[in-house]
Amino acid sequence: MKKKRWSFSAVTTALVVGMVAVSLLIGTGVFLMIYQRAMIQSVRTSSSQITEQVSDIVEDYMADIRDLMNQIRRTEQMTPEEREEFLSSIAMVRPDVTAITAYDRESGALLEAWTGQHVLKEQILVNLSFDEERLPEEGELLISKPHVESILVNEYPWVVSISGIVKDPEGREQVIVLDTRFSQIASYIDNVGIGKHGYCFIMDEEGNIVYHPQQQLIFAGLKGENTELLESSSDGSLEEGDMIYTIRSEEENNWRIVAVSYVDELIAEGLRDCLLILGVLLLLVLIATLICSIVLSNQLSKPIKRLISAMRDFEKDAASFSFQPAGGSREMTALSDSFGHMVVRIQELMARVRNEEIILRKTELRALQAQINPHFLYNTLDSIAWMCEDGRNKEAVDMVNALARLFRISISKGHELIPIEKEVEHAKSYLQIQKFRYKNQFEYFFDVEEQCLHYYCNKITLQPIIENAIYHGLNRMIEEGVIRIRIWEEDGDVIFSVSDNGVGMTKEQCDALLKEDSGRETGIGMKNVNDRVRIYFGEKYGMRIESEPDEGTTVYIRMPKLEEEPHESR
Amino acid sequence: MRVAKHKKQLLFGGLLLGCLLLGGGYLIYREAEGASAPRDPYRVAMIVKSTDSAFWKSVFAGAAVAATEYNVELTTEGPETEDDYETQNRLVKTAVEEGADAIIFSAVDYNANAEVITEAAEEGLPIVIIDSDVNSSLVSLRIGTVNEDAGSMAAEAVLTQTEGPLRIGVVNFDENTANGQEREQGFRDRMAEEDRVESIETINVLSTTEDARRGTKELLKQHPDLNAIVTFNEWTSLGVGWAISDLGRRDDIMVTAFDSNVVSVGMLETGEVDALIVQNPYAMGYLAVENACQILSGKEPEALHIDTETTLVTRDNMYLPEYQKILFMYD
Repeated sequence: MKKKRWSFSAVTTALVVGMVAVSLLIGTGVFLMIYQRAMIQSVRTSSSQITEQVSDIVEDYMADIRDLMNQIRRTEQMTPEEREEFLSSIAMVRPDVTAITAYDRESGALLEAWTGQHVLKEQILVNLSFDEERLPEEGELLISKPHVESILVNEYPWVVSISGIVKDPEGREQVIVLDTRFSQIASYIDNVGIGKHGYCFIMDEEGNIVYHPQQQLIFAGLKGENTELLESSSDGSLEEGDMIYTIRSEEENNWRIVAVSYVDELIAEGLRDCLLILGVLLLLVLIATLICSIVLSNQLSKPIKRLISAMRDFEKDAASFSFQPAGGSREMTALSDSFGHMVVRIQELMARVRNEEIILRKTELRALQAQINPHFLYNTLDSIAWMCEDGRNKEAVDMVNALARLFRISISKGHELIPIEKEVEHAKSYLQIQKFRYKNQFEYFFDVEEQCLHYYCNKITLQPIIENAIYHGLNRMIEEGVIRIRIWEEDGDVIFSVSDNGVGMTKEQCDALLKEDSGRETGIGMKNVNDRVRIYFGEKYGMRIESEPDEGTTVYIRMPKLEEEPHESR
Repeated sequence: MRVAKHKKQLLFGGLLLGCLLLGGGYLIYREAEGASAPRDPYRVAMIVKSTDSAFWKSVFAGAAVAATEYNVELTTEGPETEDDYETQNRLVKTAVEEGADAIIFSAVDYNANAEVITEAAEEGLPIVIIDSDVNSSLVSLRIGTVNEDAGSMAAEAVLTQTEGPLRIGVVNFDENTANGQEREQGFRDRMAEEDRVESIETINVLSTTEDARRGTKELLKQHPDLNAIVTFNEWTSLGVGWAISDLGRRDDIMVTAFDSNVVSVGMLETGEVDALIVQNPYAMGYLAVENACQILSGKEPEALHIDTETTLVTRDNMYLPEYQKILFMYD
C-alpha cells in the first residue's frame, strides 16, 4: 500500500493547532518566568515590610521596657516602703513580667525579688536570670538569651532577662533584672503570615532563636532553622533551596528578624492558574481551527477533491462522462469551468475520430466487396467450359445463371443492406456453383422463417461462412457433408446460423478465424463479416462460433431486425 | 465517497483531540481544585492512658500542632486511671462507631486491649501506637521510646551516680502494661552485667501518685537498706519522690525517675529525685498525627517503628541550654 497522504484540511488543522500550542507554551513559559520573578519580588517586598513591622513592634516593646526601667530608676527618690509597693505592683499587674530581681553590682548577691503572683523558691539552685559575667553598663539595657525562669516554685516559663543599672534609695548601685515573656511580640509574630506557610522569627546575633512561632517543634527536634547560614548572611533577601529568607537587623538589641516564605508554594499556584488558562485556550483554539478547517474544506479542498474524483472518472470512461461543475471560491469555479470545457471538447474530438474511423472502414469494406476473387472466377468458368465441351448444356446454363446471380447480388447497386431473401438467393447461387464443382460431395438445406425474408441484412453475410464450412469443414471429409442454414427471429433480432458436420475446430482456430483478415475466394473473410455487422449495428451484434472437433461447427450471426432499408449516407 | 470518508476521519480526529484536551483540562482543573480547596479533614481519634499528666498534655500539644498543620479533626481521650483498659476498649469502639478515620492508641494492657484494636484495624482504620504497645499484628506504625534502651539508660544513671554495692528497689506500675515491663527488662538486663548489684526488689503499684507513695514507703519499711530506687512513669515518679521526702531519705537513696513535670523537676532540684529519664512526648504526639495523616492519604510509612529520643537529665545538667529545651515546654 502506498504511504498515506495527508489531506489539505488535516495539514491545516495540525499546523494551526501546533503553532498555537507552541506559541502558547512559549508564552506561558515566559509569563511564568516573569510571574515567578514578580512573585519573588513581591514576596521580598512584603517580607521586608513584615520584618520592618516586627522590628517596630520590638522597638516599641523595648521603649516600653526602657520606660519601665526609668520608672524603676526614679524609685531611688522614694521611701523604701513606697519603692516596695511600686515594684510589687508592677510585678503583679504586668502579665509579661514574671519577676523583677535586684542584685548587688559588686557582689552579685540577690538582694530583693518581686514576683507578683508567683512564688520565689526558698533555695535557688541556679539563677538563669542573672549572669555575673555579663553586667550592663550605666544607662544600657542588657538582653539575655531566652531561658527558663528557674527561680519560681513549680513554674518554668521561658523568658528573656533585661537588666539595667539602678540606684537604690541609699545610693548604692544595683542591677535590676526584668524577666519578661514578651508575649506582645510573640502574639504578633504568631499571627504573621507570608503566603500559606510562610512565617517570621527572631534570632539574636549569635544565631540563637529568640522567638519562633514553632518554638516547641524546634525544641522537640521536629524542626530546625538553618541559623548558621542566616547568621553569616547580611541583611536583605536570600534564596536557599525553595525558601526565601528576608533578614533585617533590629538595631537596639542586635536581634535579627527573619521572614521565611516558600518559593514553590507561590509558583505552584501561579503555574496551576497558568495551566488552567493554557488548557482552556488550547481547547478554544482547537475548536476555532476545526471550524476554520471545515469552512476551508468547503471552500477549497472539497471542490478540489470533487474535481479530482471527476478527473478520475473521466480517465476511466471518457466517452460517457458527464461533468457537473463544482462550486467554491472564484479560482475553483474557474478551474472547474475550464475542466468542463475541456471535457466537452475532448468528447467532441473523440466522437469525430470515431465517425471518421467508421467511414474509413466502410469505404475499405466496400472496396473489398467489389473485388472478385479471380481464382474463384476462373475455376467456375473452367467448370462451365468443361460442361459445354461435354455437352451438358443445361447444367452449363444453370451454372452461368448462378454465377450471374451471384455477381448481381454482390453488387446490389452499391447497397450495403439487402433483403434477406436476396441474401438467401446469393447463398443458394454460391452453393449451387460449389456443388457442381465439388461433384455433389455435400448436401445443403435452408430453413428460413417466412417473415424474415423481408428483413434487411448486410450483404454477403452467409457466403463467407459457407465458404469456410466447405473448405475447412467438408473438403477433407470422406463421407457426405451436410450444410444447414437457418434464419429465425429471436427477441426482436434476426439470427443466422450455418452448421456443418465437418471436422470442426479447436477454440484457438475459432478465435483466429475472427481475427484473420484474408478472404480466400471472394475476398471477404469471416472477420470482415463480423466487423461489418458490428460497425453497422454495434458491439452487441456480431458473430459467435460453436465448434467441436470431429462433430462439426455452427456459426451464429446476430443482427437487429430491420423491416425496411434505412437511409444510408453514401 | 472519498471526500465524505476523509471528512469523517478529520471530524473523528478532531473530536478525539477535543476529548483529550477536555479530559486533560478537567484533570488539571481537578488537580488545581484539589490543591486549593481543602479536603474534608481526616478524623483521628487519639486514645491514651490518661489525660491529665504532663506527659500526655505534651503529647496532646504536639498532636494539636500537627492536626492544625495537616487539617485533621483530632479528638483526645483517655480513662481516668492508667489501669482502666475497659474504658479504653469502650473509647476505641465508640471512635470506630462514630466514624473515625484513624486511631492513635497507647495501651494500658498489652493483651486486654489487643482484640478491640485488631477489630478496629480489620474495619480498615490505620492504627498508630504511641508510647505503649498492644498485642496486635495489624498495627500500621509504632512511635515512641525504645523502652529497653530507656531502662538501660536508667541503669547507667544509677551506676554513674553511686558507688559501692547496690540494693535496688523498682517501683513499677501495672504488670500488664507493655512499656513499664520493657523498661524494667532493659534495666535488669543492664544491671545483670554489674557485680555491684546485690539485689533488685520490684513492687507493682497502681499508676497513681498516692499508691506509689504508699508502696514505696512499704518497700522501704521492708527493705530499709535500699540505696537506689528506680521508677518508670510520671505518676510513680512523683509517688517515690513524695515517699523519699516523707521519710527524709533524699540524701542516702539515689532515685531515678521517669518523665518530667514541674513537681518532679522541683524534686530533681531539691534532691528527692536524682535523675530523670525524659522522653519526647511532644514529638510522639506530633509524629503520630503526621503519620496517621500520611497513611490516610495513601502513603505507606517508611518504617514500622519510629523511635523518639530519651534524655538523661540530672541536677547538674538540667539548666544547660540544650536540656532546658527538653525539660521545659514552651507555651
